[in-house]
Amino acid sequence: MIVCVAVVGHQNNPLYLQSFTEADDALKLHHVVHCSLDVIDERVNNPKRNAPTLNETFLGLLYPTENYKVYGYLTNTKVKFLMVTTDLDVKDADARNFFRKFHAAYVDAVSNPFHVPGKKIASRSFGARVSTIVKSFGSGTTV
Amino acid sequence: MDPLRSYLGRLLLEDITPVVMVLTTPLAEAACRRSGLSFVDMLSPFSLFKKIDVPVRTASDQPYRLQMFKIRMVYASDIHKQDHEVADERIKLVVSEANEKTLPDLLADPPQLEDVVNKPEAELCPLWTKRFNRELIRTLSFSDHETFDHPVACLLVVSSKDKEPISKFADLFNTNQLPSLLNEGIMDPQILKHYLVLHDQQDGPQEIAVNILAEMRSTLGLNDCKLLCINSSAQAHGSDADNSWLPYKAHGLHNHEGACFLNTDDLNEIKDFMQDFASNHIIPYMEQKIRVLNQQVATTRKGFRNQIKNLWWRKRDDVPEAANGPMYTFTSIESQIRVLGDYAFMLRDYELALSNYRLLSTDYKLDKAWKRFAGVQEMSGLCYFMLDQSRKDAEYCMENAFSTYLRIGSSGQRNATRCGLWWAEMLTTRGQHREASSVYFRISNEEPSLHSAVLLEQAACCYLLSSPRMLRKYGFHLILAGNSYYLSDQKQHAVRAYRNALFVYKQNPWSYINNHVHYNVGRWYGVLGIFDVAIKHLLEVVACSHQSLTTQSMFLNDFFHFVQSTGKKFDVYKLQLPVFNMSSLRVVHEDHRTYASNADVDVSESIWQELEEEMIPSSSVVRTNWLDTQPKSSPFKNNKASVCVAGEAVKLNVEVKNPLQISVNVSGISLICQLSTTMDASSAEKGTLSAATEEDIATTKPSILTFKSDENNFTVSSLDIVLGGGETKRIQLEVTPKVIGILKLVGIRWTLSDSVVGYQYFEVSTQKKTKKGKRGAHRSLNNILIVIKALPKLTGYIDCLPTKAFTGDLQLLTLNLRNQSEHAVKNVKMKISHPRFVIPGGSSDLDLEFPQCLRKHVQSDSNVVSSKSTKEKFKGFLFAFPQDIKIQGGATFSWPIWFHAATPGNLSLYLSLYYEMESTTDIPYRTLRTHYNVEVLPSLDVSFAVSMCSSRLQEYIVRMDIMNRTLSESFALHQLSCVGTKWAVSTLPSCDSISLVETIPANQSVSCFFKIKDIGTNSCAEAADGSCGSDMVLSPGGSTDVFHISQSPIADFHYQERYHQGKLAKGPSSLLDFILIAKAVAANSSKSEQLLSHHTCQVALSQNPIWWLMEGPRTITHDFSKSCCEANIQLVIHNSSEHNISLGVVTSDGTLEKNQTIPSHESASGPGGWYDVSLENDVKAITSMKGTHPQKQSSESISPFVWCSLSSAQVDLKPNSSAKIPLKVCIFAPGTYNFSNYELHWKVHPSEAGQVDDNGRSGVGQGYPFYVTVLQGAR
Repeated sequence: MIVCVAVVGHQNNPLYLQSFTEADDALKLHHVVHCSLDVIDERVNNPKRNAPTLNETFLGLLYPTENYKVYGYLTNTKVKFLMVTTDLDVKDADARNFFRKFHAAYVDAVSNPFHVPGKKIASRSFGARVSTIVKSFGSGTTV
Repeated sequence: MDPLRSYLGRLLLEDITPVVMVLTTPLAEAACRRSGLSFVDMLSPFSLFKKIDVPVRTASDQPYRLQMFKIRMVYASDIHKQDHEVADERIKLVVSEANEKTLPDLLADPPQLEDVVNKPEAELCPLWTKRFNRELIRTLSFSDHETFDHPVACLLVVSSKDKEPISKFADLFNTNQLPSLLNEGIMDPQILKHYLVLHDQQDGPQEIAVNILAEMRSTLGLNDCKLLCINSSAQAHGSDADNSWLPYKAHGLHNHEGACFLNTDDLNEIKDFMQDFASNHIIPYMEQKIRVLNQQVATTRKGFRNQIKNLWWRKRDDVPEAANGPMYTFTSIESQIRVLGDYAFMLRDYELALSNYRLLSTDYKLDKAWKRFAGVQEMSGLCYFMLDQSRKDAEYCMENAFSTYLRIGSSGQRNATRCGLWWAEMLTTRGQHREASSVYFRISNEEPSLHSAVLLEQAACCYLLSSPRMLRKYGFHLILAGNSYYLSDQKQHAVRAYRNALFVYKQNPWSYINNHVHYNVGRWYGVLGIFDVAIKHLLEVVACSHQSLTTQSMFLNDFFHFVQSTGKKFDVYKLQLPVFNMSSLRVVHEDHRTYASNADVDVSESIWQELEEEMIPSSSVVRTNWLDTQPKSSPFKNNKASVCVAGEAVKLNVEVKNPLQISVNVSGISLICQLSTTMDASSAEKGTLSAATEEDIATTKPSILTFKSDENNFTVSSLDIVLGGGETKRIQLEVTPKVIGILKLVGIRWTLSDSVVGYQYFEVSTQKKTKKGKRGAHRSLNNILIVIKALPKLTGYIDCLPTKAFTGDLQLLTLNLRNQSEHAVKNVKMKISHPRFVIPGGSSDLDLEFPQCLRKHVQSDSNVVSSKSTKEKFKGFLFAFPQDIKIQGGATFSWPIWFHAATPGNLSLYLSLYYEMESTTDIPYRTLRTHYNVEVLPSLDVSFAVSMCSSRLQEYIVRMDIMNRTLSESFALHQLSCVGTKWAVSTLPSCDSISLVETIPANQSVSCFFKIKDIGTNSCAEAADGSCGSDMVLSPGGSTDVFHISQSPIADFHYQERYHQGKLAKGPSSLLDFILIAKAVAANSSKSEQLLSHHTCQVALSQNPIWWLMEGPRTITHDFSKSCCEANIQLVIHNSSEHNISLGVVTSDGTLEKNQTIPSHESASGPGGWYDVSLENDVKAITSMKGTHPQKQSSESISPFVWCSLSSAQVDLKPNSSAKIPLKVCIFAPGTYNFSNYELHWKVHPSEAGQVDDNGRSGVGQGYPFYVTVLQGAR
C-alpha cells in the first residue's frame, strides 16, 4: 500500500505531500520524504550511471527503512516525485507505471494558468487524480 | 591508517587486556582508605604501561616486542555479570553529567551550517559519547561465553597488621568468596597467584612487614611474594600529593578527598611493583599458557586426521539444542581454544588468535552454540581489523556476529549493541561513514530510549561526515535522537539535538518539520526555565497557518504560558501574529486635497485630477501666489515630502490578517511616531537627515521603548480588534499632530492578548527606489510628513443619496457642507463627474417641496434654462456657487442637488468641491472630494415608433411600447411630453373616451398609440386650445398635475440625455424627443412620491419630404346602365421640406397583383429618379420575367376601373406649400375599389447644393389605399 506521495520542486521545496494513512504520522512521512532527498541528491551528483540510463527518470528504490520503502522519480526540470510504500516487494514496472501516471497528472496540474510555478499545488482535482492513481497502484499485478 | 593508532585500535588495546583479580583483607583495604583510595584505585593508574618494551614469544619461534601494555585490576567481588539496572544507572550518570556541561551551549545561538562544517571531526559528536560507548560495552564484562574478561592472575593482598598473614592468604582464596566463574567451572581455577604484604608506615616500623615477607617467601614461593609500603609521609599534605598524582589523574582517579599520605617514594614503589608484576609474572605466564594450549590444540585438532575425527565425533554426538548451546567447561577443547585465542589477542598475536577463532567458529556452528559463535565471529572480525587485512572479511564477520546476536533474542541484544559499536567504529576508521551511521541506527533500535538517543546522535554525526554530506539525514537522526532524549527525560540533550538540526530545515520551506522542531525546542527551553529563548523559538511557529486547529491552539497556549511565566510584557520585533500586510499600507494625509470619507481616498488620483482640471488654479500660478505671500518658510520648496495640517488626523490604512484558525485578541494597535518641532530654514536638510535616521531605524531595529508617545506634540489613536480565524481586516490608524514640525511615521505597535507587544517598523526601501528615478510611484510610502499650520477644512456629504435607484428616478437632494475650523472659506466651486445623473439646483430650490415644485401651475412663467451653459459641459459639470457665499467657521451650509438615474448600471459618481481660504495660509485653496456609488436598476423600457399618418397631413401616429423590467415594482404612467413647442401630442381620436392604462405591473408590457401633430408650421390656432399641447396627461388626475418639462431640472437632464443618446444614434432626418414621466406605485402610501422621468430622444420621423392625401367622394351612386361612372378625386400634395420639389404622379391601370409587384421591383432598383417609361412596357418586362401566367391574366381580365385624365402629371412645389392634382377615374361596374395604384415620383431641387443628402434627393411614394364604393344608382 502506498502511504505517501510527494512532489518536491527543484530547490527541494515541497510542492505537494499527501499521506494515505489514517494514523497521525504526517510528521514522520515528511521526515522520510525529506531524508530521501539526500539520496536523490547523491544519485544525481554521482553520475556513475552508464549511457543507457542517463536519461532515465525513474530512480528506483531510494531509502529502505524498517517500515517503508521510498521510490523516486526525477523529471527533466528537476522536480522529484517520491512514493513511500509499505509493500515489501514492489515490481519496478509497477513503480514506473505509477510514476508515469503521476507525472502526467502533475504536468496537467502545473499547466493550469492559475498555478504559480514553484508554489504548492493546491489543485483539488490533482489531489483527486493522485488518489485514484494511488488506489489503482498494484491492482495491475493482482489481476 | 594503522589500525593500532585508530580510535578502535586504542580502544581494543585498552579494553581487551588481561584482568587481574584482586583479593584484599579488610585491614589492607583500611590502610589504603587513609589516603582516600581503595587498593584497586591506588594501583590502577600504574596498570598502563606505555613503554613496557618486553619481548614476547608465543606459538611461533619468532619473538616480538610489546610496547604498550595494560592490565585491568578488578576486585574479585566485581567479577560477575553486570546487573542490567545497575549498569544502566551508571550509563545514565554519564549522560546526565554531560547535561551540566551543555547548559552554556544552550544559551548561545543555534549552530549554522558553516559552524558545523568547519568543526573538527572529533568535536562533531560530543566527547562524552565515547565514554558512553565504553560504558555501554563494559556492561557486558565478565560474560561466560568470552574469556578475555576472565582473570589471568590473582593478586592477594594482606596487611602487615593482619594476624597470621600466611593463613589469611589461604582464607582469601577460599572458594566461597571467589567469583562464580571459577566455581562453576567455566574457567580454570588454577591461575597465577601473586602475594602482597601491604605495610602502612604510620602503623609502625617496616621490620614487621619484612618479617612477614620472609615467612611468606618460605611458604608460598620465592618469586610470588612482594612487600609494598604506603603512607610514608608523616602528615597529610594535599598539595604535594596533588602534584605527584597529577600525571595519573587522567586515568580515572577522581575520588580524591584531600587527605593523602602517599609521597613520591610510595608512588615510585607502587610503580615498580606493577612493572615487575606485569613484565615478570603476567606476560611470561600468558606466554607459557599460550604455548601449552597451542600444543594441546595442535595435537587434538590440527591435521587431517583430527579434523575427520572431530567431524565424526560431533555428528554422532547429537546434542539437544539448548538456549545457549551446550555447556563448555574449562577443560573442554572449545574453551581451551577460546582461551588460546583471547590470550593471543591480548598479546597481539592476531594471526594466532584469528586461526584459533576460525577453528572454533566451525565447532560452535556445528554445535549450534550461536552466542559463542557470534562472539568468536566478533573477535575474528576485530582480528581482521587489527591485522588490517581483508576489509571484506572483517565486515562479513561483524555482520555475521551482529545478526547472530540479534537472532538469539533478548540475551544477545546487548552483545549485538557492542558488536555494532565496534563495527561502526571500524567503518568510521575506514571512512565508511554512511555504513557506520546505518549500523548505529540499527543498534539504536535494540536499545532503551536513552541509549538509542546517544546512538542516533552518533549516527547523525556520521551522516554529516559522509561524502557527500547528507544534511537531511543528519537532521532527521538528530530529531530522532532528540525525541529519544526527551522520552528518557534528558531535556537538555533533547534541546541540544533539536537545535543542532534547526539549520537543516531552515532553508527549505519544509514548514511542517520546521514548526515541529521550533515548537519542541521552545517548549523544552520553557521547561528548563530559559523563557526568553523559549519564546524566541515559539515565535517562529505562532503564525503557522497551515497547521490544524488543535496544533495552532497548542502552539499558542504554550506561547502565552511561557510569556506569562516571564512575568513581564514581552516586546517582539516583527511579531507575525497578526500579520500586517505592509504592501497594503497607505498613508492618507490631507494637504490641499481633503476627502469626505475613507472610500474616497482609494479612488485613483488621476480621476480626481482629471475632474478638477478646470476648477483648480494651475499649479504654477498657485506657487507664485503663495510664494509671494510666504516667501521664506515654505517647507516643501525643495523636497517632495508630503504635507499635513496640524490638528488634522493623518490616517494610515493597513490590512491585518490573522493567519490562524483561532480568533486572536489584538489590542492597542497604534502608530509609532516621532514629531520633531525644530523646524527652521534648514528644514529641507532636516528632512533628508531624518530620512537617514529612518534607515538606521530599519536596520538597527531599536527596541520599542525608545519611542514614547509625546502627548504634547501629537496624539495617536488606539484600536482594539478581535480577529476571527483566518480573518482579514482593514484598519485605520490615526495620528494627529498638534504642532508644526516634521512628523515621522516609524512603525506600528500592538498588543497580542494583553501579554505580548509586537512592533514593526516601516521599511523605507521604497524611498530609495523612487530616488533612483521611479518617481511615478504614488504608492511608495511617505512616512515623513511636514506639519503645517492649521487650516480651515470643509466636510460635506450629500444627504440621502440613494445607493439603489430605478432608472429614471428623479430626486431633490441636499448637499450639506460644514466648516469645522474657525476661519471662513470663500469662492466655492463644485465639479461633478456625471452631470447626466446629478446637477446642482438653484439657490431657490432648497425650500421647494418636491415634486410639487415641478408642476406647471406653480410657475407658469417659466424660467427656461438657457441651454447653452449646460450644453457645453457635458463631460464634467463645473458649478460655481454664488460669489457672495462664504461659509463661516463652524457654520453649515446646504445646497440643493438634483439627482436623476439616467441609465441602468453601476455608477461611480465623483464630486469635487473647491474652496479658498479667507485668510492667507500656507495653502491657498483646498478641495473636498467625495465619491458615491449608485446602482441604477432597470425600471421601464420605453420605445417609440413613429409612422406617418396616411389620412391626415402633418400628423404622425406614435406607438409607445413600455416594458416594466422590474421584478416587483409597478409604475403608474403620468405624463407624456414632446419636447419643443413644435409638436403637439394627443390621444387618437377614436381613443378619446377610453381611459388609458394607469399602472404597469412588474414584468408587463404595454403599447399605446398617440397622435402627434406638427404645429410648428401651421398656425398656432390649434395649439392654443389645451387639448393638443406638447404635454399629455396619462393619469386620471387631470391637466393640473402636469409637470413642467421645459424647466430645470427636467430640461437640464433632458439636455444631458439628448447629448448622450444623440451620441449613439445619429440620424439625418428630423428628430423628436419624448419625456415620459411615471410614478412608482408605492405599496404603502406613506412613502413620499417617487417620480421617474424617462427621456427618449431623437426618435426618427418619416423621411419623406412630401405628404399626399387623396380626397374625393367615398360613396358614389351611379346608374351604370347609362354610362360608365366617372369619379373625380384630387390628390393633395404638401411639401414639408425647405426645398423646391418637382413631382410626378403616375397612375397605372391593372390589377392589384401587378401593382404589388412593381414597387418591390422599383425599390430594388434603387433611387431611380424619374421613370418616364410607359407602364405597359414595364409591366410586360416584369411579367415576362415572372412567367406567362400573370401576363395572361392581365390580358384576359378587364380592369374594373381605369384612370383617365392623365397617366402622369408634373407639378412643382414650393417649400411649405400645397398643391392639388385633380384625378379622374372611370369605373365600369359597381363595387368597392381601392385606388391605390398610383405612384408619386419626386425629386428635390435643393436651393443650395449639399444640404440634402442623397437618400432624400428623390423618391417614389406608393399610393395609399383609398376605397371608393360605387353603387348602382336607381334609374
